[in-house]
Amino acid sequence: MIDLAAPQRQSPIAIVFLGLRIFRSLGIAQIVLVVLFIVRAPFDGPLSVLPVIIIGGFGGFSTLAWWRNTFQLVDGELVVTKGVIRIVRLNVPIERIQSIAIEQQLLHRLTGLVKVTVNTAGTKDVEFALDAIARPVAEELQRQAVTAVPALRPTDGTLPPPVIAEDQVGFTHDGRRLLLMALTMSPLTGLVVLGPIFALGGDFFDRVPDAGPDNVTVRWWWIPIGVVVFVVLSVALNIIRVFLRDWQLTLRSSPTGLRRTSGLLSRTSTASSVDRIQMVASAQNPLQRRAGLRSVQLATVGQGGLSLGGCDDVQFASVATLAAVTPIDEQQLDRRIHPAEVFLAARSTTLICLVLTGALFMLVGWWSLLAFCAVPYVWVTKRVGVANFRWGLQDELASSRRVISSATEQALLHKTNSVHVTQSIFERRRGVATVRLTTAAGAVAIGMIPIDEAHAVRDTILHAVETDTRPWI
Amino acid sequence: MTDSFSNEPIPTDHLPRLNDDAFVSVDPRYLRVSLTGVALAATAVAVGTVIIAVQANQKVVPLLIGGGVLLLLGMVAVVRTLEVRRLAYQLREHDLSLRSGVITHRVESLPFSRIQHVNVRRGPIERSLGLATLQVSTAGPDISIPGLTQADAERIKLLVTERADVVADEITSDAEMLPLSGDVTAPEPGSTPPPPPPG
Repeated sequence: MIDLAAPQRQSPIAIVFLGLRIFRSLGIAQIVLVVLFIVRAPFDGPLSVLPVIIIGGFGGFSTLAWWRNTFQLVDGELVVTKGVIRIVRLNVPIERIQSIAIEQQLLHRLTGLVKVTVNTAGTKDVEFALDAIARPVAEELQRQAVTAVPALRPTDGTLPPPVIAEDQVGFTHDGRRLLLMALTMSPLTGLVVLGPIFALGGDFFDRVPDAGPDNVTVRWWWIPIGVVVFVVLSVALNIIRVFLRDWQLTLRSSPTGLRRTSGLLSRTSTASSVDRIQMVASAQNPLQRRAGLRSVQLATVGQGGLSLGGCDDVQFASVATLAAVTPIDEQQLDRRIHPAEVFLAARSTTLICLVLTGALFMLVGWWSLLAFCAVPYVWVTKRVGVANFRWGLQDELASSRRVISSATEQALLHKTNSVHVTQSIFERRRGVATVRLTTAAGAVAIGMIPIDEAHAVRDTILHAVETDTRPWI
Repeated sequence: MTDSFSNEPIPTDHLPRLNDDAFVSVDPRYLRVSLTGVALAATAVAVGTVIIAVQANQKVVPLLIGGGVLLLLGMVAVVRTLEVRRLAYQLREHDLSLRSGVITHRVESLPFSRIQHVNVRRGPIERSLGLATLQVSTAGPDISIPGLTQADAERIKLLVTERADVVADEITSDAEMLPLSGDVTAPEPGSTPPPPPPG
């Protein structure tokens, strides 16, 4: 076993990463100024060594930052020391670590090292990162953090002996599944890359003589062909993106935690203990529904939630079970919401359209009445949404909704941080209310339910929180 | 890992209910704190309107605009007054609730076991009136109870902190008896929460 009690230093390769990070932290304007100064300034005589001094000083600073940056596990705390001018000592109780992600970028792969990012509930951003350490050290750190259960920490402060348990592979997505994922989950994401290219196309044709649309006759059939080429290119780019990001997406489980690994060039591993999972959510667009796939999100406190795309129904049920949540198919989602929601949505849209029409009338005349087209759209979608909305309250507060896309949300009652019951004027007139359960990683809200039912839900949730002694974070 | 944990449905009739009548209203002096901002704004608008109206050729336009803004501020003052009247809190053995809102009624409940820290804040106007605001933070949303007397705020802060500690100890002692696999036993369905410590 690797002894993390002794101070560990990152690999010397980390100097490069630290240097890059310091360089980025300087700000773009400052970097541009320094580069221009070095390139343009006429350095004659003794001044000619100035660029060398600047670059050397930067390298020295990075090396010193690397030397001062150590980490170790002492008495159940991860102690990180860093800083050059101002020394910072960070003590993070290991059971407070929400998740540890191990990432292997291209440069890491060449050197056999990994990057570790540690997330706690204390900050919304990453608590700290270790740029380049050996994989066995990172995995040991990840394993100890995931197996550390707060309540079992003895009073003398020492860490309990870790449970040595083999990770079991829950599932792995093969190439075919990744292809299906790319084709069904936001297939036109590649437009993000193509957009700027097309936007700059005009400039390109202007600058290149004897090229561009000015010298050719535009045919009508170019437009559909162009659209097809555009879509095919976008999809192809999205396939590349998904393969790079989710290559061999694997979910592993141990008695205490879940670990997600994926990536082709940059291999990422994110782990979290089951106790730290606050909510389970899933989403399914029409394409995914046709392919029988859905995106699953296990929300933990802070960053580091586990995102699992392309899960089929069996895998979704298995993920839910691993996360100690009842699979959504076994949930009794037999409660519905008041249809007044449809009227409220249509009325609000009508009011907005009325104001919009009034404002647009000055500009486009009677065409402004087209704004009212939104009203039937909202009415129909809301009507379908209310008809398909189901919710239930057992071990979890769970909801399922479907209009064009569908989504489910499940929040374990004992992870609740607060419960709200709200009633707008509209809801008061109809004797309904909205109940909202908030966890440390998100919320589930059920609107337009009878006020007595909302109070009963609130009381049930509070009772569950106050009588359940299971760890919740 | 949670095989032995059971969570049978609980008849909601037997659950302790959050009684609407048991809410304690905040100190009526808080109305002055709440209206101070509106009063300052109204004064500034009134003075500004008069100055502009005196100097302008057409006095009707600035007077109309100023009057409209003052009317709006008057409506804000009415809503604030109603809000302060509705603002109330309730402390139970295991949770803290806050009732608020006039246009949208809102009741927020926060179990003591989820409290991360408690904080008492006093602004200059609150200090002059002997009032304080209690801020209760969780890993999720926070609750602020304004319009408490300083003594009440400190008392509630102490109580909330003690209750949070007691609940945390209960969780720890229960969990220490459990194996690492997370094999937990649920409380009996419908069981009543343990009583608070004496004092």
